[in-house]
Amino acid sequence: MDHSHHKETSHMAYNSTTGPHHHHPTTSASHSHGGGMDNMMMHMTFYFGFKNVELLFSGLVINTAGEMAGAFVAVFLLAMFYEGLKIARESLLRKSQVSIRYNSMPVPGPNGTILMETHKTVGQQMLSFPHLLQTVLHIIQVVISYFLMLIFMTYNGYLCIAVAAGAGTGYFLFSWKKAVVVDITEHCH
Amino acid sequence: SKMHFIFSDKVVLLFDFWSVHSPAGMALSVLVVLLLAVLYESIKVGKAKLLYQAAVSMSIPTIQLTEETDQDSLGSDSAPVSRTHLRWFFFHFGQSLIHVIQVVIGYFMMLAVMSYNTWIFFGVIVGSAVGYYLAYPLLSTV
Repeated sequence: MDHSHHKETSHMAYNSTTGPHHHHPTTSASHSHGGGMDNMMMHMTFYFGFKNVELLFSGLVINTAGEMAGAFVAVFLLAMFYEGLKIARESLLRKSQVSIRYNSMPVPGPNGTILMETHKTVGQQMLSFPHLLQTVLHIIQVVISYFLMLIFMTYNGYLCIAVAAGAGTGYFLFSWKKAVVVDITEHCH
Repeated sequence: SKMHFIFSDKVVLLFDFWSVHSPAGMALSVLVVLLLAVLYESIKVGKAKLLYQAAVSMSIPTIQLTEETDQDSLGSDSAPVSRTHLRWFFFHFGQSLIHVIQVVIGYFMMLAVMSYNTWIFFGVIVGSAVGYYLAYPLLSTV
């Protein structure tokens, strides 16, 4: 196999480089694939590269450094937006739950007395606008969280850094004033 | 491509250099992943406690929501006083760094599970259980 095309930029991971005339590239010696495993389209370890990077959708392929820079910014903003959406939903929920309903009803007590039993209800009605809005925002949040997961699953170092940095920046910017509420029931960040 | 959970001593986890090819290596890797999961749960609790304690120390009104109590005293959502603004800034910046670490570890655990190696999967699950079991009760303490 001719090694003269071996590029030093991506010696670590399998990464298709130039055009269709390029044979299946051999990587460095530390990377030993099994005999007939030729379908290594998916990266299973972290790599840095910007050629032939498929991002979520079939038409979205990154091939140049400029496109990778644009993708970095877009992913960064998406992760930032996700953090902001979480904070926004929390504050919306708190605002709509300020109304507390008290239901008082008389109940018979011992010795023939009448006691007042009071039920306190905090929450939203099913068909209220805040609840419907929360549901829509929840779906958006779930979709974006899956997109971020799939982006991280590309194992592309640039895109993963964009996710992490965007999450950190979004958390920093949007949690600034929200910080008075400590909610520990949140799962999976 | 068809993927399913397998029991195997061979796996490459996250990075090219993390290549496992022996039972001893697998045992060590499972332990590492387990500790990573424990760390993840601890960070979640630690972040919440840190936030509460910092707010208290800077005299910021707080609302504490836990699974046990349904009592919530409605404090006002006021910004920190100007005297402690810088202090709050540094604290919040530190919290954001911790948040980045939490996000990254969470994704690492997801990718580890994606290796479809059953031993690694057990490590993540047991680590999450141990981490939650040990860390979450600390939330009710002051």
